[in-house]
Amino acid sequence: MASERILPLQSAEEAVATGRRRRALSDTEFALAFGVPVLVFLVLVVAYPLGYAVWMSLHRIMFFGGYRSTFVGLRNFERVLVDAGFWWSSWVTVRLTAEAVVLTMLIGLGLALMLNRTRAARGLTRTLVFLPWCVSTYGAGLMFAYLARGQTGLGTSIAYALGYSQPVDLMTSGLVIEVLAVGAAWTMAPLVAFFLLANLQTIPKRLYDLAALDQLSPLETFWHVTLPPLRYTLFVFASIVTVLTMKLFDFVFVMTGGGPGTASATLTYQIYKISFENLDLGYGAAMSFYLLFLIIASTLLLYLVWGRREVLR
Amino acid sequence: MKRTGFLAVALVVALFWSLVPIYWFCRMAFLTPLEIQHYPWPLIPHAPNPAAFYNIFGFRYVLSGNLVSPASGQAAQIIRGLKDSFLVSLIVMVVTLAITLPLAYMFARMEFRYKNSLLFAILFAVALPPVSTLIPFYAMYVRLGLAGTLSGLVIVDLTLTVPFVTWMLIGYFRNLPPIERLAWMDGYGRLAAFVRLVLPLARSGVAVAAVIAFLFAWNEFTYALVLVNGTTANTLPTAVSGFLHQYPEPGNLAASVLITIVPPALVAYFLQRHVSEMNLVDPVR
Repeated sequence: MASERILPLQSAEEAVATGRRRRALSDTEFALAFGVPVLVFLVLVVAYPLGYAVWMSLHRIMFFGGYRSTFVGLRNFERVLVDAGFWWSSWVTVRLTAEAVVLTMLIGLGLALMLNRTRAARGLTRTLVFLPWCVSTYGAGLMFAYLARGQTGLGTSIAYALGYSQPVDLMTSGLVIEVLAVGAAWTMAPLVAFFLLANLQTIPKRLYDLAALDQLSPLETFWHVTLPPLRYTLFVFASIVTVLTMKLFDFVFVMTGGGPGTASATLTYQIYKISFENLDLGYGAAMSFYLLFLIIASTLLLYLVWGRREVLR
Repeated sequence: MKRTGFLAVALVVALFWSLVPIYWFCRMAFLTPLEIQHYPWPLIPHAPNPAAFYNIFGFRYVLSGNLVSPASGQAAQIIRGLKDSFLVSLIVMVVTLAITLPLAYMFARMEFRYKNSLLFAILFAVALPPVSTLIPFYAMYVRLGLAGTLSGLVIVDLTLTVPFVTWMLIGYFRNLPPIERLAWMDGYGRLAAFVRLVLPLARSGVAVAAVIAFLFAWNEFTYALVLVNGTTANTLPTAVSGFLHQYPEPGNLAASVLITIVPPALVAYFLQRHVSEMNLVDPVR
């Protein structure tokens, strides 16, 4: 693929241009024709709400006793920094994300390796394994809420089947984040597996024959033959899963509602509560910028400690 | 021999992992009213009871012993939700493809000024959390008269699908052999070469991008909850969320979540054969 990039497209285009035919659209013209409408769309639809959020974060907005807004400068941002609820939610978000990313990547890799080997009923197996991805995050939230709760849960059913008569509630304040992480991994792992499987299909069979000739153990084969072409995709999806987990809202909303207490109040849930229940829009907007900062900072960190090495490889 | 055994075990574990949560809801949907009253519910329904699937579509169902399971009050919303969700998802899918295919091709194969900054602008849009843009969107929509309309929902969905699908497709286009140069030599213009040659060649990537766009729109809940819920425009996720407040009917809740899985699962089944042809690599390098 790298060699393909070396061939300059420009020269091929100039070859056409010097021919008898009418000169085709140049790269820049093509980019203008297709890129500009899309950018206008993105600016209108993304930048306007973003600008509006900036405006809100600089104001104190009140609904009770008539709508009014007063400019307060950076006071909302200062308030966030001394808010214990914000720091707790940040910790919950970071813990959930770290657990969900590790679980999703490991399970995704495992599923991809298995699917790559499976020959029997291939289409059916693939579809069944990819099925969780078809479940919306809010649907998955409902499923895991029922799976984890004491009355209806998996734990209780197993306990009863084993002869115990004590319900097992997994939605306790100590465990609820882990349960959320498992649920998040359940919905996202198929996406990772899907892309890793596509990458696995490009590894030449010949390499495995050579590895067999060298009498590499299965672990060594995995480490030296299978893993290297996957590493970059693994990094990219670690970033994607990080972003998706930090943005996760409806899953937490339907599954735990931030509870028990505030044990699973992620930043997204906290912002929702401040903006939609307390109707403190300016403060909620300010906090959402801290979330945006956290998302960008953690993907950047991933890039610096891992991605940079993979790009140079 | 040992390896086949290991693979079989892995397969069983993987299927368990993927299917247990879905089975949990299947079982819930088929429980009889009597079974639902006693915790814990049996692992396998003794007499599978399809009443919930009738009820959520607005039909009553007569159980054995002349018990009547009444039609759900949520049925009208479910049916409307199915219709609206289909409409929104199809439109989002088509528009996303129309926008992202040329865009991704452009980023993958062409050199132009500001390319990298434009690419990062698109990736920035992926990072934007919906909770921070919900209120601005709502305020903007009320002003523009888009709140509570399906077109408003289509526009919001596009802000999610366009950046994500573009990101995905750039890597795909990059891996295609550069056959369009042959077309240029034959006198095709850029556009003609793209439409007649590149797109047919990339059809599996196009198909997967289509599924992803469809799924995003089909499953979008956060925006729909705020922007269209409680209006005449109503998508399936918000319709299903109506069951959350009817606690005594977990069967209907489970059945309605299960029907939301069917259309994307069918799409996934018909498109999984393209997976082996796919080769997606990240565009930012």
